[in-house]
Amino acid sequence: MSRISRLLTLAGGLIASALLAAPAPAQSGADFFKGKTITYIVATSPGGGYDTYGRLVAEYMQRHLPGSTVVVRNMPGAGHMIGANAIFAAKPDGLTIGTFNTGLIYNQLIGQSAARFDLERMSWIGKAANDARVITIAQQSPIMSYRDLAAQKRPVNFAAAGIGSAAYVETVMLTAVLKLPIKLLTGYNGNADMLAMRRGEVVGTISARSTWEPFVRNGYARYIAQIGGDQTDVPQLATLVTDSAAKALIALIQTQCDVSRLTAGPPGIPADRLAALRSAYRMAMEDRELLTKTEKLGLPIEPAYGDTVLQMIKGALQQSPETVALLAEALKKK
Amino acid sequence: MIETMFGSLYAMLMSPHMMGLMLLAVAIGLVVGVTPGIGGRLSIALAIPFVFGMEMIPGAVFLLTMHAVNGTSGQISSIMFGVPGDGDDAATTIDGYPMAKKGEAGRALGASVTASGIGGIVGAVVFAIMIPVLEPVVMAFSPAEFFLLALLGITFIAFLAGREQIFKGLIVGLFGMMLATVGTDPNTGTPRFAGDFLFLWDGVSLITAVLALFAIPEMIALAVKGGSISSVSRETASYSYRQLFEGVMEVPRHWWLALRTSVIGAVVGMIPGLGSSAAAWFCYGHAVQTSKTPERFGKGAVEGVIAPETGSNAREGGALLPTLFFGIPASSGMAVLMGAFLILGIQPGPTMITERLDLVWTLIWALVVGNLIAVTFLLFIMRWVALLTFVNGAMLVPFIVVMAVTGSYVSEGQWQNLVVLVVLSVVGYGLLRFNWPRAPFVIGIVLGKIAEESLHKALELWGLSFFTRPLSLVLIGLIVATIGYAVYRNIKPRTAGAQRAVTP
Repeated sequence: MSRISRLLTLAGGLIASALLAAPAPAQSGADFFKGKTITYIVATSPGGGYDTYGRLVAEYMQRHLPGSTVVVRNMPGAGHMIGANAIFAAKPDGLTIGTFNTGLIYNQLIGQSAARFDLERMSWIGKAANDARVITIAQQSPIMSYRDLAAQKRPVNFAAAGIGSAAYVETVMLTAVLKLPIKLLTGYNGNADMLAMRRGEVVGTISARSTWEPFVRNGYARYIAQIGGDQTDVPQLATLVTDSAAKALIALIQTQCDVSRLTAGPPGIPADRLAALRSAYRMAMEDRELLTKTEKLGLPIEPAYGDTVLQMIKGALQQSPETVALLAEALKKK
Repeated sequence: MIETMFGSLYAMLMSPHMMGLMLLAVAIGLVVGVTPGIGGRLSIALAIPFVFGMEMIPGAVFLLTMHAVNGTSGQISSIMFGVPGDGDDAATTIDGYPMAKKGEAGRALGASVTASGIGGIVGAVVFAIMIPVLEPVVMAFSPAEFFLLALLGITFIAFLAGREQIFKGLIVGLFGMMLATVGTDPNTGTPRFAGDFLFLWDGVSLITAVLALFAIPEMIALAVKGGSISSVSRETASYSYRQLFEGVMEVPRHWWLALRTSVIGAVVGMIPGLGSSAAAWFCYGHAVQTSKTPERFGKGAVEGVIAPETGSNAREGGALLPTLFFGIPASSGMAVLMGAFLILGIQPGPTMITERLDLVWTLIWALVVGNLIAVTFLLFIMRWVALLTFVNGAMLVPFIVVMAVTGSYVSEGQWQNLVVLVVLSVVGYGLLRFNWPRAPFVIGIVLGKIAEESLHKALELWGLSFFTRPLSLVLIGLIVATIGYAVYRNIKPRTAGAQRAVTP
């Protein structure tokens, strides 16, 4: 088929993406999905990392579940909670799955009332990547290393998106436990933090490395420390601290980094269908075409599957009361 | 430099492959733009799988053209039925729909389509001129300036509401700002007036609010009144190409306004953080404020159609600048576009200008040529589109209400927004029925949020001393001058109005 005619289907796809349907009786395993439509919920608006990963996963899972159609549906809002709630509450027939921010572990840990999901009970299908956290410092700042940052006499401005976002929570907790001289300014949504760094309004951020790669490559900033990830060009924060409370906190954040770009369904998907979804997910992650695309996009693929992911999530949900108190403090209203 | 500039234009025009792709991109962009609730962002996100195999330049041209002409068709439903496709189209509705009611849909469409095209082209020119001074201009705007710019926009309410309605205008504007406070507090993270309703945590959906205030009330009014949208019959209205052409000629007649609003749109687009709807509203406010006869606005003034349309299309050229040269997208649409550029192997950043100048020029020309194609195409079909305003309302209203309801649902995919739509529609119909202005509401809800967020940030960064930043002082001067002018105009014409009352 020519590229032009494939493009023509785009206009139709736009309309189709808005209209969804799904009911069905039961059969077994992969056969069940023949002729069925799976809704893949992405808990953000179109564009951006979650949407890109979500659309790739949907496209290649469809390919490896013969006869099925996987439709992406964006359900943005309330820091991924609308999408996560929708996935959790969906009918557990295997026809609704989706992706959201792993940071919702924090919301569950402190028992936020608007979080109507239990991550431990969800049907885990897999995760696509690790997303290391980095301390990024603007290029014009004299702070060259973690030691420099810790030694600052006066608090330096750091930026974060909304209060309650994963990056915000992590920055607040690290600032408190490591006693860093950081004054955190919030409300830098989208790429506003990068511009603020260029203007010199803020000196740095603690956030996901994948977001900052182009900015750092353009020479506007540098990394001084990292949590998680397998890159070796930046020192791991865990090696720079000695305090045991700090090490425990860094370990918690690291589990967040390890389970990134996840895919999950509601609790109680029949075992044979869940197995079929997991195997389709695995085949998608190993699909050569998908790997070529993600490499072009600069999106890392470091997958893990099914029960492995469930164990990681369970581990992250086992936190000492001290850590939970720290979290609650970080998420507490100012 | 000159050689690269025209070489890339020649290469583009001479390649059937490129021109074919551009035609297709224009067609898709226009179709997506007509549908309320589906933004340009979604169209690019869905197009990404299709550009994987493309070469760099054709792929980039395809996506940019699709994105750039998106706003050109959104105005059709705004003018014809009072159904704005999104926040910036709402500005076009205010004067466009009254024109359609007067039987001048053809003229309004001719003017708005031409204005969009001109805006897009001037935006591309501004893009080219601004490249060398991009850095200082963009860096000059910080949260302090965003706050003052939003405040300046809010003062336009004084002009929008018209002389005798200034208090009504302020009340409606404040109502909009009140609704803008619904959602998560940017400073404390507490949900305000939202409780456990998660769909309200990100604020009241702008598209839903706009549809409820403009589209639904107009349709209720049409159903109550009976007849067609145009109050003039088809025979008496010159609905032919002549009326359309008259509309086209309105743009050169108001060339100075069109140029100014295009530049305003492009500069607003350049500054990330002001939000995409702000450009159209600044331009509309500017047109009203500088008009010698501001009382005509809201009742079908053609300038009220030209200004927001030039502004919103010029914005795209402006928004491309920081995206390409800093790798920092200026809007959510540009963020998606940048993601797609990365797939194509384009690395946005400062080296673009030294290493990929041919690509930069091709993209500038794509903006120009894409807009020209879109305008020609739309002008050609407009004649038939304009006829719809003469169709009996009983046949039209159900379709348009369905369109509005779908738009409200699709934009965020949450049924709860339909409840908001109904509630706000009642308010909107009340405002329409009792002849209160509705434009200040959108200004309030769009700029209220920007004002609040940036005020918080500016205060945290600099405390109260942010008022003394040089650019802040200039903006404060502008705000004071605007208010002063509003007061002056409010006093002066009252005597003229009194005279008119004596001699009716």
